Amino acid sequence: MKKAIHYINQFFAGIGGEELADHKPEIREGLVGPSLALNSVLEAEVTHTIICGDNFMGSNTDEAVSTILGFLEDKEFDIFIAGPAFQAGRYGVACGTIAKAVKERFNVPVLTSMNVENPGVEMFKKDMYIFIGGKSAAKLRDDVKVMANFANKLLKDQETGSAEDEGFFPRGIRAQVWLENGPIASRRGVDMLIKKLNDEEYISELPIPKLDRVEIARPIEDLSKANIALVTTGGIVPVNNPDRIQSASATRWGRYDISNDDRLEAGVYKTIHAGFDPAAADADPNVIMPVDAMKAYLKEGKFGKLHKYFYSTVGTGTTQAEAVRMGKEIVEKLREDNVDGVIMTAT
Amino acid sequence: MKLELGNFYVKDVLFGEKTFYKDGILTINKEEAMNFIREDEHIIDLDLVIAKPGENTRIVPVKEAVEPRIRPDGRAVFPGVTGDLEMAGMGKLHALKGCSVLGVGMHWGSFGDGLIDMGGEGAKYTLYSKLINICIVANTDEEEERYEQQKKNTAIRMASHKFAEYLGSTVKNMEPEEVEVFQLDPVTKRDDKTSNLPSVVLVMQPQSQMEELGYNDLVYGWDMNKYVPSFMNPNEVLDGALISGSFMPSSSKWSTYDFQNFPTIRELYKEHGKTINFLGVIMSNLNVSLEQKKRSALFVAQIAKSLGADGAIVTEEGYGNPDADYILCLAALEDVGVKTVGISNECTGRDGASQPLVTLDVKANALVSTGNVSQLIELPPADKVIGELQALARDGLSGGWSYDEVLGSSVREDGSVIMENNAMFCGDMIAGWSTKTMKEF
Repeated sequence: MKKAIHYINQFFAGIGGEELADHKPEIREGLVGPSLALNSVLEAEVTHTIICGDNFMGSNTDEAVSTILGFLEDKEFDIFIAGPAFQAGRYGVACGTIAKAVKERFNVPVLTSMNVENPGVEMFKKDMYIFIGGKSAAKLRDDVKVMANFANKLLKDQETGSAEDEGFFPRGIRAQVWLENGPIASRRGVDMLIKKLNDEEYISELPIPKLDRVEIARPIEDLSKANIALVTTGGIVPVNNPDRIQSASATRWGRYDISNDDRLEAGVYKTIHAGFDPAAADADPNVIMPVDAMKAYLKEGKFGKLHKYFYSTVGTGTTQAEAVRMGKEIVEKLREDNVDGVIMTAT
Repeated sequence: MKLELGNFYVKDVLFGEKTFYKDGILTINKEEAMNFIREDEHIIDLDLVIAKPGENTRIVPVKEAVEPRIRPDGRAVFPGVTGDLEMAGMGKLHALKGCSVLGVGMHWGSFGDGLIDMGGEGAKYTLYSKLINICIVANTDEEEERYEQQKKNTAIRMASHKFAEYLGSTVKNMEPEEVEVFQLDPVTKRDDKTSNLPSVVLVMQPQSQMEELGYNDLVYGWDMNKYVPSFMNPNEVLDGALISGSFMPSSSKWSTYDFQNFPTIRELYKEHGKTINFLGVIMSNLNVSLEQKKRSALFVAQIAKSLGADGAIVTEEGYGNPDADYILCLAALEDVGVKTVGISNECTGRDGASQPLVTLDVKANALVSTGNVSQLIELPPADKVIGELQALARDGLSGGWSYDEVLGSSVREDGSVIMENNAMFCGDMIAGWSTKTMKEF
């Protein structure tokens, strides 16, 4: 019989909730919590269950991943299944993080399940099969069953269907399929047009994603009175990274007081961005976050005021959805402080 | 305009003493037929081969497909190409159904040429595996383009049109087994019931992106690169006013056979007077520079608006750069209040992860997909090859290659092939026959 390994968080393992979310990774032989449901419908034996606290995975990602990969090094398994994570954001991100790492290291199929609202969907749907799951654990059995049905096909080398047929989030892959006894393209086109003309529902075979274009803002009329803020996706933070902003696929941002600094000093600030060589930015953080130049311009009277905080996050691998959310949160703060304009720097 | 298409259903094609058609059997005197084709002195080596559905036969490089036809009143089947210019789209036309004349290179292929498997797994990739194909297998003296990836293939393509007419003449004076009538009253002279239905145009974008003349589709013998969109009767398309060219990757092509039987025109006719008022065809083209693309889109939108079209189907002969013309045209029509549907294929790459069309616009909100040009296809060796198999690898066919560090050559020593759908002859059935679509995985 083929073998599977299952990943769950501390809550579903029955260890505890939020207060125990720092639980370090452990591996247990056999079944724990949701593994029981999985094992009952999977045509493979769930030999081990891996448990990790969501916060631990989120805050000590490298350590968590390397520990778990270490657990798996001497195990035989044909498939790796994580979750279901429902709407639990940190759990979803944890499932995606570990499943992606397992796939890369061991080259086995990895599956997970999340609710559409889970930020893990946007972050990881291109990397793996993420099945469309319910909002809460009430849907545990249903969600596990959908994953297991698909896993069983993979385990038996059977042909699998499209995202829509199988119930996973599209991975950004489009391929041609033959419609069994299906109407020819001309007929489909004419039928689609008749429906469109009659204002009836129709389904486009190629949905065009809507692009969010941001219009260019009007110029600031009087720069001499303007309050200007600095924002970056270049990952410039105080050296201890107090907000624990991720080095890639960021979900967090921070703001740092520069009212008493003429420039960002090396050794006080650095970049935690993993998408480029940090040497130049670490030697002089102002090359990304130009506090020095802005302070100089301020003295020359080129603009009215430099906002007391600069805002920072990391752009590499960050999903559009997360970027939009963080942007909105930052804008809210800027508005509260009557900022008139922003200089946005990237890398 | 009324076109009566008299059909003769060909059940078999044989070589024999005489060239004639009787009871579903087309018999060809091979020697006489070859002498006819050799009248073009550019054809320096020639064979005629018949390929039937289900045979384990591979045909490559295929340059053109034409349905054998004749006009009983003596007008040319392809006005401006095989004879004098006369208006097409009305009167009687006889057709040998279920077969086609294929123009095949005896040795040399080019970018837009394709492959047909008559049997086995490969047969599903092209409509032409279902037809009895009378293959002109020829070599020509067109030395100037012998080693060019882009070839005009003039001699072989013209031979296909002429020979289709030659074979069609076997039924010139016979009674058709079935007559299909295609009739559209003048736009302003239709009955109330039809006039009150939503009005629809078909916008066709034939391939015309080569600035040098001789590669592009022709309308009444005129190169469509030097052309701005105009209004045509769909019967003209069905009746030989357009012929295919020699440029687009094969799976995205409309052969002349495709024009003669254009399925989207046939489907629109079926609805005419019932659910829609089919106004006609706005014949556009495909262009190179953005200004040219915009100009054509502008012409199309104006004609559609002036005709009072409520809806339009837009369809392109191509992928890649022509997607820009396709999307621009769809958007231009939507901008003037014409509701649109597009029919085309996609290019999502071998891994399926690429953007499906070169340009996208949310206004193109009703699209039909006919396939993925870059889908990898592996096929076992065939018993017989018509043409030259190496052409797929050697001559720069759009879906073939001579060397790939992972996949090797498109043509393997045992005769099996690995190729992109791009090189399947009219493989995306983009004229509208495709039962393929694209799904998310």
